[in-house]
Amino acid sequence: MHEADLIVSLFTRDQGKVKGVAKAASKSRRRFGGALEPMTHVRASYAERPRQELARLDAFEIIHSPLSEPVDYGRATALAFYAEVLEETLQDHDPQDAVFRLLLAVVEQTQVNRFWMPVTYFSLWILRLNGWLPEMTRCALCGEPFGESPAYWHPLADTLHCATHRRDGSATLSPESIALAAAILRSPVAAFASGDWPRRRAADLRRYALRSLERHLERRLTTATALMKLGG
Amino acid sequence: MARFAEPMARLIEELRKLPGIGAKSAQRLAFHILRASAADAEALAGAVRELKAKLRLCSICNNITDVDPCGYCSNPMRNHRLVCVVEEPTNIATIEKTRSYNGVYHVLHGTLSPLNGVGPEHLRTASLAARVSGGEVDEVIIATSPTVEGEATADYLAGMLRGTAARIMRIATGVPAGSDIEYADEVTMTRALEGRRQMG
Ligand SMILES: [Zn+2]
Ligand SMILES: [Zn+2]
Repeated sequence: MHEADLIVSLFTRDQGKVKGVAKAASKSRRRFGGALEPMTHVRASYAERPRQELARLDAFEIIHSPLSEPVDYGRATALAFYAEVLEETLQDHDPQDAVFRLLLAVVEQTQVNRFWMPVTYFSLWILRLNGWLPEMTRCALCGEPFGESPAYWHPLADTLHCATHRRDGSATLSPESIALAAAILRSPVAAFASGDWPRRRAADLRRYALRSLERHLERRLTTATALMKLGG
Repeated sequence: MARFAEPMARLIEELRKLPGIGAKSAQRLAFHILRASAADAEALAGAVRELKAKLRLCSICNNITDVDPCGYCSNPMRNHRLVCVVEEPTNIATIEKTRSYNGVYHVLHGTLSPLNGVGPEHLRTASLAARVSGGEVDEVIIATSPTVEGEATADYLAGMLRGTAARIMRIATGVPAGSDIEYADEVTMTRALEGRRQMG
């Protein structure tokens, strides 16, 4: 490591997360330009070096940049959220094709005034792909389907419960949000692109997904906190 | 790392905290200071001490200054109805070098940065909002970087100032002067086309 080098996490399709170093951060900024912006889809040339943890980054060709569309604080927060979650969940050199495809699809949907849907979709699917999503249609204790009743979840547990078996201090998931979660888990993100998705829609589901993620990662996500502040 | 006498180790440790300074540079600087005359070393220490004791933020524009208001805000020759918003005090020097800007400034000291937990509530915008909504300003030029965070900040400021009488402008971005458009990426080229100007 040299002074003031820039460490970059690449999420590659065939090798998973690869950490690379861009020599001399300020010069690299000039050389790689917008390619170093978070959630930029690039064709990357890099060299892995024997006995070295960090790959040497050589060149980036931008396939799609988040700067091609308008940016506001909400969209920037959503993009940063994907980056932080992936940094925390991906292991080095462990290819995750499903996560890669999920990311490409949600980034495309993440636009100004239209980011709550892809954020919710991404959070739920990341839980699912990591094996952290519990049964969402029936009580974990008695097996009663939730049907038209809300489900209850506790910040310290994964499982969902019926009104009878809920723990004190539980939060709820509305029947609409449970149905929406089921729809999300069987449809591509583009299927939700046309509908209206204001901040309030499925806010309970988002809160559940973000809290679950944080509990499994055993840390607070800076960007999840920012999202919750935005989402009220 | 080699072991140094305690005062040397302490200086190296402090120098390493500076941006762009790694272990090797810190050692080199520390040895340079050690070899320097007592007067030179004292001058350096004094300059650092005085910097912290005397410098503060301008109450109008947030620029770093030893007098309040700062030299730009108190200069009657400058156009106080034109305000350029920058991320850092160092950006002012970059704009001043052009010699083509005669307005005043507002320094944000950062951008919105979700990854670093910097939200709208942390941006230093109160004095700007007061100046603009008080009708003291005709035009605001937002000169944050054309990065995701810089653009998000620009959008936030534009929204905050919408509805005031001031014209809100964003600096143009495009192909760097003296470079070849062959090497411009798609985003840069798109911006360059959007920012085109009439020539005849
Ligand atoms: Zn039950
Ligand atoms: Zn000032």
